[in-house]
Amino acid sequence: MKESTIMKIHYGTALAAVGLVAVHILMRLTTGFADSLEYENVLANYRSVPYVVMLELILILLSVHGFNGLRVILLELKQGRVYEKAVSYGCVVAMIGLIGYGSRTIIMTNMGMV
Amino acid sequence: MTEDEHREGIKGMANPGRYGIERVAYLLMRLSGLGLLGYFIAHIYETSNILRGRMGWDEFLALTQTTEGHIFLALVIGMCVFHTGNGIRIMLGHGGVGVGKPTRPDYPYDPASQNYRHKIGIYSSIVLAAVAMMYGMAVMFGE
Repeated sequence: MKESTIMKIHYGTALAAVGLVAVHILMRLTTGFADSLEYENVLANYRSVPYVVMLELILILLSVHGFNGLRVILLELKQGRVYEKAVSYGCVVAMIGLIGYGSRTIIMTNMGMV
Repeated sequence: MTEDEHREGIKGMANPGRYGIERVAYLLMRLSGLGLLGYFIAHIYETSNILRGRMGWDEFLALTQTTEGHIFLALVIGMCVFHTGNGIRIMLGHGGVGVGKPTRPDYPYDPASQNYRHKIGIYSSIVLAAVAMMYGMAVMFGE
């Protein structure tokens, strides 16, 4: 993929994530910070389908943005054919791993497997 | 860059007196980005404790609901707000917003993009981050 396309994805994911994370944080403030973290309230959040869709979107957007950012930082430090390939593939694998792990929590909790 | 500047290492590289606030913003952007990625991974792990049931959730939550935990979260808020504010500045700059009109390069060759508009953007991001941290601490410690 062209670096210019990757940067557009980087900026797009950032802007989308800012809006969704703002909603995610505001949800913590609607019922009071400590109360919103109570087990029942968190479970209720996970049972709400629109909220779960938003959580999944945040997970994907931030994973893509975060691991691409890490890739850019690592490529700034050192260059080389093998190194660059290792960093790029390593970041993609880590990104997929994190999305998979986070999705597992979201899906299992939403389906009542707690 | 002279050899003496190299000898100073990261301290020399980060010296704001030599390279200006833009270099500080460059470093803060990367440090906050790494910090936020670390927090994001930890947050995904933290929330997965809900699968352990009420006891598992309450046990893990107790670890974060401490003074140290709140201070750490306030730092995360600061990093998040700075990263967002400065990121928007960078995106606008890459899109040609606020970088000025192209002119003939004359001595002392001041980079057109490093102008007062972008400096204001950097300082505003820092101030906003500080305000958000204070608000966050007021919410967390106020309860």
